[in-house]
Amino acid sequence: MTVAADSAVPAIDRSMSPGRVALRRALRHGSFWVGGSILLAITIVAVLAPVLTHYDPAAQNLTQRFLPPIWAEKGSWDHILGTDNLGRDYLARLLYGARISLVIGLFTVLISGLIGTTLGVAAGYWGGWVDLVINFVVTIRLTLPVVLVALVVVALVGSSLSLMIIVIGLLLWDRFAIVVRSATQQVAQREYIISARAIGSSTARILIKEVLPNITGPLIVVASIEFAHAILLEAALSFLGLGVQPPEVSWGLMVAEAKAQLLFRPWMVAIPGAALVALIFAINLVGDAIRDVTTPEGRA
Amino acid sequence: MREISRTPSKDMAYFILKRLCVTFLVIAVTSVVAFLLVHLSGDPAAAMAGEGATESDIAAVRQLYGFDRPLIVQYFDWIGRVLQGEFGRSYYLRMDVSDILAEHMPVTATLGVLALSFAMLLSIPLGVLAALNPNTLIDRIALWLAVAGQALPSFVFALGLMYLFGVYFRLLPISGGATWAHFIMPAVALGYYATPAIMRLTRSGMMDVLQSDHVRTARAYGLAPWRVVIRHGLRHAIIPVVSLAAVQLGFMLGGSIVIETIFSLKGLGYLAWESIQRADIEVIQAILLVIATTYAFLTLFADLLNAALDPRIRMS
Amino acid sequence: MSGEPILEVKGLQVEIPVDGAVLRPVRGVDLHVFRGETVAVVGESGCGKSLTALAIMGLLPRAARYTCDRITLNGESLANVSARRWRQLRGDRIAMIFQDPMTALDPCYRIGDQMREILQQHRRISKQDARERSLELLRKVGIPSPEERLSQFPHQLSGGLRQRVMIAMALLCEPELIIADEPTTALDVTIQSQILRLLQDIQRDTGIGLILITHDLGVVAGMADRIVVMYGGEVVEVGACDDVLSRPLHPYTEGLMRSIPVPGQTKRGELLGFIPGIVPRQTGERTRCGFIDRCPYAAEVCAAGPVPLSAGENGHEVRCAVPAQRRDPQAWNRLTEAS
Repeated sequence: MTVAADSAVPAIDRSMSPGRVALRRALRHGSFWVGGSILLAITIVAVLAPVLTHYDPAAQNLTQRFLPPIWAEKGSWDHILGTDNLGRDYLARLLYGARISLVIGLFTVLISGLIGTTLGVAAGYWGGWVDLVINFVVTIRLTLPVVLVALVVVALVGSSLSLMIIVIGLLLWDRFAIVVRSATQQVAQREYIISARAIGSSTARILIKEVLPNITGPLIVVASIEFAHAILLEAALSFLGLGVQPPEVSWGLMVAEAKAQLLFRPWMVAIPGAALVALIFAINLVGDAIRDVTTPEGRA
Repeated sequence: MREISRTPSKDMAYFILKRLCVTFLVIAVTSVVAFLLVHLSGDPAAAMAGEGATESDIAAVRQLYGFDRPLIVQYFDWIGRVLQGEFGRSYYLRMDVSDILAEHMPVTATLGVLALSFAMLLSIPLGVLAALNPNTLIDRIALWLAVAGQALPSFVFALGLMYLFGVYFRLLPISGGATWAHFIMPAVALGYYATPAIMRLTRSGMMDVLQSDHVRTARAYGLAPWRVVIRHGLRHAIIPVVSLAAVQLGFMLGGSIVIETIFSLKGLGYLAWESIQRADIEVIQAILLVIATTYAFLTLFADLLNAALDPRIRMS
Repeated sequence: MSGEPILEVKGLQVEIPVDGAVLRPVRGVDLHVFRGETVAVVGESGCGKSLTALAIMGLLPRAARYTCDRITLNGESLANVSARRWRQLRGDRIAMIFQDPMTALDPCYRIGDQMREILQQHRRISKQDARERSLELLRKVGIPSPEERLSQFPHQLSGGLRQRVMIAMALLCEPELIIADEPTTALDVTIQSQILRLLQDIQRDTGIGLILITHDLGVVAGMADRIVVMYGGEVVEVGACDDVLSRPLHPYTEGLMRSIPVPGQTKRGELLGFIPGIVPRQTGERTRCGFIDRCPYAAEVCAAGPVPLSAGENGHEVRCAVPAQRRDPQAWNRLTEAS
C-alpha cells in the first residue's frame, strides 16, 4: 500500500564504500558515542589495572577486613572502594575483574562467531539438505538449556578459564548461525553472485570475496549481542561458584561473595553489579548503533 | 484464479502431525546429546563417588550404575527406563529420581508461568502504546526500559529486589516458597529479562500492522479504535510475540537455577544446582531431559498456536 | 444529478514534510459529486488521486497534513471533524473501496464477522438481523451461495468475489457516497468489466454518488458522467465524460487517449502512443506549467508562470496556456519518435 507521493530517498553518495557510509553515520549517532566511550573507558581501565592500583586483587589481609568505601564514615583514600571479607582491596578486584569479563567476552565471541558463521554461510549458500541439517543442529542447540549445560560440563570437568571460554564459545553460536544464514541467503540471490559463478569463480573465492564482505553488518550486530551474552553467562557461572575460581577475580564472583553482606553492606553487591550493568549497557548501545547504521537506506 | 476452498480441519491435522514428528526427533537427539555431555565430561563414577573416594569406592559406583558398559547400551537402557516413567535412582538422596522430580517441578512451573505472565503484562501493553505513539514520551520510556532491562544481569536484579523489598522495606519474604508472596520477587527477577524482547517485538509488529491495508479498511469503516488496534491490529502482531513468549518461557526454565538458588525456592533449578555440586548423575541427566523436552513442546505449542490464529499458516 | 452536491471539495492541498523539504503531492484540487453521479478521477500513479481520496476520508498517513478552502459532505464540513464524528461518518455516510481486496480484508476473520462488525458499529442491530442484511447485500452484488461465503475466510474466495464482498461491505449502511480507488486494477480483465457493471447497476438502483479513481481511461468510458484528469497533483482537465473523451483539451489527456488501443483500428505491431518521461517530484510552489517537460506543445508562455484552470463551455475546463489553434498536429509523433 503506497499512497505517499514519490518516494523521498535521499541521494546516496556513491563515491563512498558502504563501510565508510556506515562509519560516518555511526559517528553521528548518539548511542554510539555514549556506549563507545563507556566501553572504551572500561577497556582502558582494565588494560591499565596494574598501573591504576598497586594492590594485588588476590592479596588477603585479614586485619583489614570490611573496610568501608571512601564515601562512608570510616572510609579512607587507602582503599577507595573498601575491602572485602578477606581484606582484599575492592577497587583492585573491580579493575582486574574487568579484564576477565572483557577477555572472556572477546574469546568466546571469536569461537562462537567462527562456528556460527561457518554454519550460517554453509546453510545460506548451499541450501537444500545442508540447510536442513544445519537447521536441525541449531534446533538441538536451542533445546538445551545453556546455563545448565555449562554448569554440568564445568562441574564435571573442572573449571578453568580456558575451559570456560571453550564451553561458552561452543554454546553461544546459535544466533550467529541464524542471522548469518539469512544474510547469506539474501546475498546469494543477488546478481553479482550469479555472475561470479557464471565466470567460473571457485566457491571459496565467491564466499570470501563476495559473500563475507556483505554480511559483515548483521555479523557485527550479532557479535555485540553475543559479546554481552557471554559476559552475562560468565558472571552467572561465577556467581554460582562454577565459573572463575579464586585467585582469579570476576565480577560475578564478587557478587557471590558479597551476597552474605547484603543486609549491612549493600554496596559490596552494588559495586560489581553496577560495573556489570555499565559494561553490558555500553555494549548494547554500541550494538544498537551499529544495527541502525547498517540498515539499508530507505528503511524507515 | 479460483481457489477451491479446503476443509480447515484436514490441513490442521496434517500440520500437527508434521510438527509432532519433528519435535520427537529433536527430543530424541537432544537426549543423546544430554546423555553424552554427562557421561563424557570426565569420569561419572569418580565424580559421583566424590572427593576422597578410594579406587574401590569408584569401582563400586561404576558397577552399581553400569558405567562400565558401552555407552550405547547405557543410553538405550536409560531411554528405555525413561519411556516407562523411570528416571533412575539418585545416588545421594537414595530416592527415585521420578519422585524427586515430581516434588520439585511444581515450584519451577509456577515460577515460570508467573514470570512470563509478569513479562507479558508489562511489555505487551507497553509495546502497543509505544507503537500507537511513536517518538513520543511513552515510546522513549518503553525503549529505554528495554535497553535498561537487557543490561541488568538477573542475579544483580534479584539481589537488588531482595534488598529493596525484602530488607529495606520489609514488604516481601526473601526465602522459601511457602506462600504466593514468596513468588513475587523471584517471578519479577526471572521474568523481566524477557521484557525488552517482547516489548520490542510487539512494538515493531504493531507498527507494521497499523500500516497494513486491512487496518486501513477497518479505520475506513469507522470501527472503534480499540477494535482497530486489538482485533485487527494486535491479533496479527501477537503471532510472533506468542512464539517468542514460549521460547522465553523455555529460557526461563533453564535459567531459573540462578533465581531459585538466590531465593531458596526448591524447584528444578535448585535441584539441578544441588545435584551438580554432588555430581548426582542420574538426577542431572533427568533434569536436562525434562527441561529440553519442555522447551521442545513449548516451541511446538507456539507453532500450533500460530497456525490456529492465522489460517494461512496451516495451508502452507 | 440535481440539487446540492453530496461532496464538495475546494482547494485541497496535501503536504508531506520529508527530510527538510515539503512535498506537495496534491495542489489545489477542486472536486464535487452530485447525487447519482459517477465522477472518474483519472491519472497515472503519483498524480495524487489516491491521496485526494484519503484526504477526503480523513485517512491520510500520519506524516501528511492537508489544507483546503472547503470540504463538505452533504453540507457538513469535514475540515475540523472530531475523531468521534469521523468514526460515525466512515462506513455509514461515506465508504471507500480499496484497490487490492486480498490485503484490504482481514485474513483472520470470516466474511460474515467482518460484515457484522461494520453493521454493529453503526447500527443497533441484532446478530440475526445483521446476518440477514449481509446476505441481502451479498446477493445484491451477485455472489452465489452467500450463506456459505459468510463463514468463509477471505483467502478462500477468488479476487473477483473478494472485490464484490468489498462492494457489499461498502453498501451495508447505505452510504451517500462511495469512493472506489482503482477497484479493478488488481483483477483479471474479464472480471474487471463485471465489477464495473456491478458498480453501475448499484448506482442506478441506489442513486449514490460514486467517485471512481483509475489510471485506465478505457475503464471510464460508459461508466462516468464526468471526468477529472489529474497530473502532478493538479486537476488539468475536467468536464462531461463525452466531452473530454471526444475532444480532449489538455495535452496530457490527449496523450492518455493515444495510448489506449482501439479494437478495430489499432493495427497489430503498431506502437501505442505514450507520453515520454516520468512524473516529477512535487515540491515548492509552481512557477510554470507542471506538464511542460513532457508536453509536445510546450511554448514560452508555458514557462512564464503557473497556469490556472480556465473555464469553458458545459463545464469543460482545462489548465493549459496553449490554445488548440496554436498546437502543431505533428507534435506528438515527433515527441514519441525522439524518445
